[in-house]
Amino acid sequence: MSTGTLRQVAIDLQESEENRALIEAIKDDNPELTLRHLPGLVKVQAAGRIVINRESVENRLGREWETGEFQLAIVSYTGNFSEWDDDRIIVSWEH
Amino acid sequence: MTVKALYDYEFPSADRAEVFGDDQLVYVHWRGNPLFCSAACFRVPKNMPFAEFVTSMLHGWAASDPDFDPASVTDWRLFDEQLSGGQDKSLADLGIGHKALLSFAA
Amino acid sequence: MSVPTKKAASKPARKLPLKERYALLTRDLDWEPGYVDREQLFPHTRYEGIKIHDWDGWQDPFRLTVDAYYKYQVEKDKRLYAVLDGFAQSQGHLSLSDASYLNAIKLFIQGVTPLEYAAHRHFAYLARHLEGPAPRFAALCQSVDELRHCQTQIHTISNYNKYYGGFHSWSKMHDRVWYLSVPKSLFDDAMTAGPFEFLISISFSFEYLLTNLLFVPFMSGASFNGDMPTMSFGFSAQSDESRHMTLGLEAIKFLLEQDEGNVPIIQDWIDKWFWRAYRMSALVAGMMDYMLPKPVMSWREAFELYFEEQMLGGLFPDLEYYGIQPPRHVNDAIAEKDHLSHQVYKILHNFSFAAAFTTKTPDEAHMAWLAEQYPDSFDQVYRPVWEKHRKIEADGGRVFFQGLPQLCQVCQVPMAFTEPGNSAQISFRRSTFRDETFHTCSDGCQWIFEREPEKYVQAWLPVHQIYRGNCGGPTVPDVLAWYGIQEGDNGEYTGSPDQLAWAAWHSDGDDKAV
Repeated sequence: MSTGTLRQVAIDLQESEENRALIEAIKDDNPELTLRHLPGLVKVQAAGRIVINRESVENRLGREWETGEFQLAIVSYTGNFSEWDDDRIIVSWEH
Repeated sequence: MTVKALYDYEFPSADRAEVFGDDQLVYVHWRGNPLFCSAACFRVPKNMPFAEFVTSMLHGWAASDPDFDPASVTDWRLFDEQLSGGQDKSLADLGIGHKALLSFAA
Repeated sequence: MSVPTKKAASKPARKLPLKERYALLTRDLDWEPGYVDREQLFPHTRYEGIKIHDWDGWQDPFRLTVDAYYKYQVEKDKRLYAVLDGFAQSQGHLSLSDASYLNAIKLFIQGVTPLEYAAHRHFAYLARHLEGPAPRFAALCQSVDELRHCQTQIHTISNYNKYYGGFHSWSKMHDRVWYLSVPKSLFDDAMTAGPFEFLISISFSFEYLLTNLLFVPFMSGASFNGDMPTMSFGFSAQSDESRHMTLGLEAIKFLLEQDEGNVPIIQDWIDKWFWRAYRMSALVAGMMDYMLPKPVMSWREAFELYFEEQMLGGLFPDLEYYGIQPPRHVNDAIAEKDHLSHQVYKILHNFSFAAAFTTKTPDEAHMAWLAEQYPDSFDQVYRPVWEKHRKIEADGGRVFFQGLPQLCQVCQVPMAFTEPGNSAQISFRRSTFRDETFHTCSDGCQWIFEREPEKYVQAWLPVHQIYRGNCGGPTVPDVLAWYGIQEGDNGEYTGSPDQLAWAAWHSDGDDKAV
């Protein structure tokens, strides 16, 4: 599997109080990220891939966080979940 | 290509001509008038004279446009061909069959 | 089951890693049949010509297990119902942008909610009939999701039914009313296909390719127009939807990887179902551009962002690896993005006397927005027609289509679409099958018809059914009564019961009458 090309991947997240820390954590770990605000949601976009680390989210939240909780925040995405385990989630294109 | 199925796939058409008996469906499109989104569909007797079809069916529909002038209706076409033959002839005699598309300009 | 926020004082026993838990709770629960063979147990997975060599090749990136599934779904429902309660208790409906906004929600409950239920039924079928335990479990979760969506939508929207017309009888309407035959027939088409075609039609072409385009701007529109409950059920449903999109993407990759012979079959289904789903989405295009008092994003912009950029630019280069091309007829969809919404709203405006919602001619401010969003088409083609409507209305008239429209045999939308590249010419396509003429609205619908004419000749076309005498009687009131449409649900918005009630509630700041 390649490490991913530079085509854009994106995740749409609900813009809510609970998700603020998550969005901050995604910004921390993906320096190339662009954000677009639409009513009620935030679209985060990056070339190639977006990574979400459990540890970064927990640092921002100040509590334990399971990667499964990401399901409560996501509205939609473009790309492919190439990795989803206890520690991180990666959205990227495969080919 | 036929439908892939686990059995013989054979069903009649829902709106085949015989379902309408002595009548048939005819569509009419007013070319170049965007006030109407699409052509209209009418159920009419096959042996209705064309002139009667125009006055009894078409005029009421077309008059939704206040600028409609019945005298200005012209250039009838059956599908892509000029409609030929007298207006006193029946739809069937003019070759206007089930689910034919007529159009005019005005 | 522990809730993450309530951290126990003593460290709980370490849970198994996600991958192991998933393996134990899905694949490990499967068994080989003993007293019947596999073909008897799974009789529907061979006749479509798809070859599967190893069902364990199916991956679920979410690695969802049944305990985690219910834990998160409960949390989603809690959050949603808190919003619904708050909105109902605070008379939130009075703070919508305008009562006319609710026409979009009427279209939604009549057109979309019953599809959620249909999807619930059919994913339950897939959960029985797919051979691998991983796709069966993913289909089971989706089946339960779809039922949840149907229920949460009914609960959410029922609050509006207390105050506004058009929200009753939506289930009956879905089975009967002309514009609702568009979504209904699409789902009927998918549900009468085999299990693999259904995966490509609904899970891939609908859920992955187009759902973003349909729902995300729609829910943002709800938010922007003060409809917090709809926004909340929408986003709550969409969070499941991202799992459904994943199922769609996994399905296609799995089928393509299993056997090279599957590739042309899948390509054919993508070609068919992209166009089917895209044609249905035309209703959403009209809604987005014309029915939101405070529009948030035009159809054109949403199409460019969510379809052209993300799907054609992102997904299809990925699928090219397997030999898959962008859908046939995709260029026709791109070519008409400046026109689609205008032509569809025109249909609704012409025929809202026979609909369970109302329409109105866009006012000057709305037309200015449309002109800005559609610099290449609105002022040139569509503004002059709306201005004619406004002039007629100023003289006390209102143009309705005094008759019934010609419908496309495949998508069942009135034949209002124009030729790609010529917005002055309606696109008529004609096929002959068993000596009978069939009309379609586009190269896409004609291609679909000619691929399986035996299927589409059976279409329940609402206009023809009325003429066959199957819809309550020959007159408009007969048909409306049979549809379940009540006086005031339909017609022109200005002067409608909804508009009058809204004006009264907001006339002097006194809302006690509500």
